[in-house]
Amino acid sequence: MSIYGPYEETLNEILLDVEDRIKQLNRRELDKHQPKLYEHLIGRVKTPSSMEEKCQRKNYPLTTESALRRCRDAVGIRIVCNFISDIDRCLDVLRNAEWCSVVKEKDYITKSKPNGYRSYHLILDVVENYRDIGGNNPGHFFVEIQLRTIAMDSWASLEHEIKYKHHVKNPERIGRELKRCADQLASCDIQMETIRQLIRED
Amino acid sequence: MRILLAEDEEQLARVLKMAMEQNNYQVDAVDNGQKAVELSQKNAYDVIILDIMMPVKNGIEALKEIRARGDRTYVMMLTAMAEEDDRVNGLDSGADDYLTKPFSLKELLARLRSLERRATQYNGDDLKFADLHLDSNEQVLESDNSISLSREETRMLEYFILNAGKELTAEDLLNHVWNASDEEADTEEVWINIAYLRQKLQSIQSDVKILGEKGGPYILKG
Repeated sequence: MSIYGPYEETLNEILLDVEDRIKQLNRRELDKHQPKLYEHLIGRVKTPSSMEEKCQRKNYPLTTESALRRCRDAVGIRIVCNFISDIDRCLDVLRNAEWCSVVKEKDYITKSKPNGYRSYHLILDVVENYRDIGGNNPGHFFVEIQLRTIAMDSWASLEHEIKYKHHVKNPERIGRELKRCADQLASCDIQMETIRQLIRED
Repeated sequence: MRILLAEDEEQLARVLKMAMEQNNYQVDAVDNGQKAVELSQKNAYDVIILDIMMPVKNGIEALKEIRARGDRTYVMMLTAMAEEDDRVNGLDSGADDYLTKPFSLKELLARLRSLERRATQYNGDDLKFADLHLDSNEQVLESDNSISLSREETRMLEYFILNAGKELTAEDLLNHVWNASDEEADTEEVWINIAYLRQKLQSIQSDVKILGEKGGPYILKG
């Protein structure tokens, strides 16, 4: 059995349920004649092997408890938005959703990581009709949400590609260029947001 | 700095070349206007010093040819004291400065130093204001976070910082940020760029604010 023990199938169900709930939040916005909340979303359950790797890296015992409780990103959903203000709208509706509570927020948009990474991370505590590791039913499950713009998402793809390429010539220079690129993309995001606001004021 | 000197009085040319070289400038000296045109086409100079009265091609003709080629190198003319027309003609033909003969070597060297300061220290320097750090060369603005700026945003913020706390009209900003040849620029564009800068200041968590309504005047507050 994997590090997820008997919960592996449950995690897949949780992922689908939470994705559906977010899609529903989006439909509600459209019904109110508001623009869509996001461009697209993608979700995944972390593979058991990368979860084991993470537990080892963090010096956690290789137990299902570590995988589901100490690590809180077994289930992850990335919400990719068109504009920065859409991220704020997503945050608003998630904070007010009755099916979850936000247990942690990390804002890497107003305070980007030194390499230029920008994204807004949330950990949700979701209550679902499945038995959790504490024996509760309905049980509590953690879901990590990453919110970012399309530009931030493209940047993260590039950074990911470089991070996993083993022989990068002159990594310092590439690092500087990546950082510069991140600042330029942030500049474009703000320019688009400002233009959008100027149009609305007219 | 690399300097091209065109002067046909042999003795004067030799003294000037030697004095400038002693001050660590790299100097090429020629004795007529035609050679100045040819050499300036071949080499990249920081300053061109042109005497007006020269054989083959005089200084004004040489200057006109150099400018007609699109060369924007800083040009200093050497003119005779009496000839006001030469000075006016020279400046109108594209010269940046002139010295009237006889001139002191000290003054020429001081002008070269002043030019160097303008080119290196006052330009593209890092500016600090309150919690902001503006790197004009990289066009990057930093506080808690960092973000890129466009050319216009960089120049506008530079002007704001150098005149912090003063009221600046939309016209002031238009004249200092956009080139006179840019016919599309207007006060509406000033306003849009103020809006960009405001959002960018906010995005990097700076306390610095640009105050003022659409139409101006605007004021930068730390």
